[in-house]
Amino acid sequence: MERVKIIRYSPWLVHFNTGACNGCDIEVLASITPHYDPERFGVRLAPSVRHGDVLVVTGVVTKKAAERLKRLYEQMPEPKFVVAVGACALSGGVFQGSYPVVGGADKVVKVDVYVPGCPPRPEAILEGIIKLLKKLEGGDGDEPKPG
Amino acid sequence: MSQSLVESLKEYVVKSYAMKPNRLVIEVEASKVREVFVKLAEVLGKESFYLATIEGTDLPEKKLIRIDYFINLFKHDAYLVLRAYLPRENPVVPSVIDLIPGALAGELETHDLLGVLFEGNTYLRRSFFVPEDISSKGIYPLRKDSGV
Amino acid sequence: MVEATHLIEIPLTVEIPVGPQHPALHEPLLLKLHADGERVIKVDVITGYNHRGIEKLAEKNTFYRDIFIVGRVCGICNAVHANCYVRALEYLLDVDPPPRAKYLRVLAMELERLHSHMLILAVNAELAGYETLFMYLMKDREYIMKAKEILTGQRVLADYMMVGGVRRDIDEVKKSRILDIVQRVEERVKYYHKVFREDATINKRLRDAGRIKQADALAYSLVGPVARGSGVKTDARAHDKYDAYNEIPFNVITEDYGDSYARAMVRFGELYESANMVKYILTHLPQGNPVPDERKLPRRFPEGESYAIVEAPRGELTYYVSSSGGDKPYRVKIRTPSLNNIVNSAFAYVDQMIADVPIILGSFDPCISCMERAVITDLRRGVKYQIPLKMLGGVKK
Repeated sequence: MERVKIIRYSPWLVHFNTGACNGCDIEVLASITPHYDPERFGVRLAPSVRHGDVLVVTGVVTKKAAERLKRLYEQMPEPKFVVAVGACALSGGVFQGSYPVVGGADKVVKVDVYVPGCPPRPEAILEGIIKLLKKLEGGDGDEPKPG
Repeated sequence: MSQSLVESLKEYVVKSYAMKPNRLVIEVEASKVREVFVKLAEVLGKESFYLATIEGTDLPEKKLIRIDYFINLFKHDAYLVLRAYLPRENPVVPSVIDLIPGALAGELETHDLLGVLFEGNTYLRRSFFVPEDISSKGIYPLRKDSGV
Repeated sequence: MVEATHLIEIPLTVEIPVGPQHPALHEPLLLKLHADGERVIKVDVITGYNHRGIEKLAEKNTFYRDIFIVGRVCGICNAVHANCYVRALEYLLDVDPPPRAKYLRVLAMELERLHSHMLILAVNAELAGYETLFMYLMKDREYIMKAKEILTGQRVLADYMMVGGVRRDIDEVKKSRILDIVQRVEERVKYYHKVFREDATINKRLRDAGRIKQADALAYSLVGPVARGSGVKTDARAHDKYDAYNEIPFNVITEDYGDSYARAMVRFGELYESANMVKYILTHLPQGNPVPDERKLPRRFPEGESYAIVEAPRGELTYYVSSSGGDKPYRVKIRTPSLNNIVNSAFAYVDQMIADVPIILGSFDPCISCMERAVITDLRRGVKYQIPLKMLGGVKK
């Protein structure tokens, strides 16, 4: 549990595209640029999956990418978390039912936070990660209700 | 442009007509595809066109597979479609990869998705992008009766 | 001391996988490098991680639902994908959209080209080890995303194209805001152009990396800025003059040298052209209603086939749509520029240094989602190196 506490000061992201249309990918890319200033939360991109804390999965999971996703997840050090970004990573989106497709990311790995949208805005992606951090502190991830 | 092209290829032309919008289609015998490309390079010059893509369509009612070579005649602002029909049971067509290396992508794709065999292309293999569980059953996804 | 009488050469080759998850690549692609020391002698491009079976999916859905599916072939160039497919449908139906809609379509596509080229130039800089320039370029790219949002209602996937027009109109306020943004960004682009020309890091890394001769670019069917960087004057906007490109003035930019630097310079030239086109459109926008009534569109399509071409940011993108009469297409064939540029370009890595491989790949502007297909083994004919037998075993006869 101590290690979880350390992560919430500076979660390093690993981004993996499992079969996305690039829409979510460029938004993930945009969300790590100065305009959105993710480093105020300590968020940055990890150079290697072995340094990562949070796996950001974009896109529908194809059968070929599913093995890779599983292997990437296994290679990450504990504790590790998964954020699924975009409609496709949630449920398969418009590609549901197509022959090379498994479905959403949760068919392969355990997902902690879902960020909906097609694609979600960079602010939404960052908010998803912040909600994950709040969850680690013991909350349910939501803002406290006024009153 | 289209008139003179049909004229110069007339020994190979089975039929010629227009596809929307104003693309010239020339039907040729599948076995003559290579000769047509050689002739085309002679008539137009090697550096005035490139092969944009190869497209295959399954026609189960006619027991045929139609294969189209989309050619961009960029020096003439025109597009040409070479069209050939193959028997569905045994879709074999000579590969043009040694004449036009750019045909590689199209031939690999058409082979994996539709099962057309490009004779002479040694790089052909299944499961380029069709997942293993489907290709190992010998299913070609773009065939109308593939059931995927 | 014993004199050596024989020199024994051991052909040492190492297989180095790059990807599918690699910090330099934001998309899944596996390049298998076969290297002799630091020198690359062969590259296998392995993809298929992103194949989603879109062509089959398109056959199962109706003509109109497919507009949303083809927009999701590629998020970066979704407007050109949708435009190309929608025009293929319009050719089938013999529908001609009003002039204002044609101008607005071009506006959306040129804004997309602006942000796409800025993105890949930023990635080029990042791959060359110049992260500051990456951050700066990405910051200014955000303004273009804003302009796109003002026009279409969404930053990325807008589904702006409709059969017979566009989804929403633009008013004077929006016009002036987009104009303002593009003028500001153009000034910044001039500055980045200067950085690319004068900076030592960029010049050293990009120059002479992955040089492609004009004849090779044609033979291997390379398209878009990659072909234009090698001196091939091909641009679907100039050949086909679809939508409003017959009325809007622009130049086709080419460079002769064919290396990664030339490709970057082509993209800079096109940034200026696109900015000028955006300014022209906003000052010469025809009057009229560009939004068609969706309820009046025919549900069933006549029998026929059409072949539409569009110049995507990455090159010529083609759609072939065949209808057998009915509400679903009989066959949809999508050929994206990246398929040609990435799959056929394995030869460009041969003889290069391992460290240059990401730079060269970056200069091709890979859009793996666009390709959604293929695994390739390509060995340039006449390679002058010894290749161990075990490696040849990988190539199936």
